[in-house]
Amino acid sequence: MTADLSIPAMLSMYALMLVPLAVFFYLQLGIIRDTLLAMARMTVQLLLVGLYLKYIFQLNNPLVSLLWVTVMLVVANLSILNKAGLKRDLFFWRSLAGVAGSTLLVSGWFILVAIRPDPIYDARYMVPIVGMILGNCLRSNVLSLERFYSGIRRNENEFMTYLLLGATLREAVRPYLRDAIKAAVNPSVATMATMGIVSLPGMMTGQILGGACRPPPLNTRSAS
Amino acid sequence: MIDFKNITLQVRQQTLLDGTTLHIADGEKVVVRGASGCGKSSLLKSTVGAIPLATGSVCADGVELSPETVSDIRARIAFIGQEPVLGAEHVRDAILLPFTFKVHSANPPGEDRILELLERLHLPSAILEKPCKRISGGEKQRIAILRALLLDKTIFLADEVTSALDPESRAAVMTELFRPDITLLSVSHDPEWIAACDRTVEIQNTKLQEISRQGAQKTQEKQVLSSLRSFAANKTRRDGHDC
Repeated sequence: MTADLSIPAMLSMYALMLVPLAVFFYLQLGIIRDTLLAMARMTVQLLLVGLYLKYIFQLNNPLVSLLWVTVMLVVANLSILNKAGLKRDLFFWRSLAGVAGSTLLVSGWFILVAIRPDPIYDARYMVPIVGMILGNCLRSNVLSLERFYSGIRRNENEFMTYLLLGATLREAVRPYLRDAIKAAVNPSVATMATMGIVSLPGMMTGQILGGACRPPPLNTRSAS
Repeated sequence: MIDFKNITLQVRQQTLLDGTTLHIADGEKVVVRGASGCGKSSLLKSTVGAIPLATGSVCADGVELSPETVSDIRARIAFIGQEPVLGAEHVRDAILLPFTFKVHSANPPGEDRILELLERLHLPSAILEKPCKRISGGEKQRIAILRALLLDKTIFLADEVTSALDPESRAAVMTELFRPDITLLSVSHDPEWIAACDRTVEIQNTKLQEISRQGAQKTQEKQVLSSLRSFAANKTRRDGHDC
């Protein structure tokens, strides 16, 4: 069961974005262009996603799915570097290794230990699970990398003092690293602490609407 | 010993120093003068690799500054800035900060040594428990100097370190930094500080000029004095052992 949105309803959804955009404008945040661009990208991606996911799921070819997962990882990585303001040439492989390593480890556990689909490479599990974990990873990465480098830039004198007092580079960046990691994991810890009240009902309702599990009244009706 | 050979310094595309050579012997006290923004502080910072040299080289104790030697050089040189950053919440933590780093972690100072230096620099011992935000600029400068003295360094770069000090505190700081075993490269506008230095150099239009050398005589006098002092110190130590 899906709810079809009429065009005016769709437009009114986009109109909701006018509220944050007005705030951005009022506070002169300088992120209006980026936000509009993100909206346009989201629209194009959502228009296409149904199409390409359908084919990927139909094909259910391990190579095609892996290729798709690779594309997802690379795009997420580029987005991280871009948003955190890091040089691509310098950081591409390092941050890709970090993103891919952690995402594949966690989604590998999900697929191999928790779900165990048959076949194991079933695209209907592999693609969305990697996607969900990668999405979280993207958010934390942007947050922590941005905080890390801006922390050093803002406290350049303090950072220089550490170095001039004999700290190695690793020792001198430690306070900023600590702050950055804290900033990145804080939202996740908050999510975890309210999982059953805030996050899970949202996620589960989505799955119920999508038909993952029928709620009892529907079952009763179809049985009768 | 500090040796600048033919250095060019550029900060934000502006040339501050062009082809400068300066040799500072062990134990020598040199003060740099010049209009503000002419590159005095940058010259000091370039010695410890905080500002990269566009050309030329700088050596400290015979070690040439390079990415490989920069940590070794920083371990030999104390840099005290105009507005020192203490880098910790409380004064005690700020004083002990360098000893949390691997290079210095083997020899943390004893409490009595800290207290003795506090007294010599005219600082109350209660300052140790104060938050760094609550102490004055002059106190910050002396805490930064104290921290450098605790590290037993012999080359000091001092950028207007007496600017916020009253005459007594200034005298106390000068007694510490003008010890014969310390090589001092400084920036100062303070007439007494300048008079106490062996040499004064001035930066004018990207060139460094020697404007006064307090004469070889003074240096010689100092050397004689310092050898007398060390002789006396040794003698006292020996006599002490004999007893």
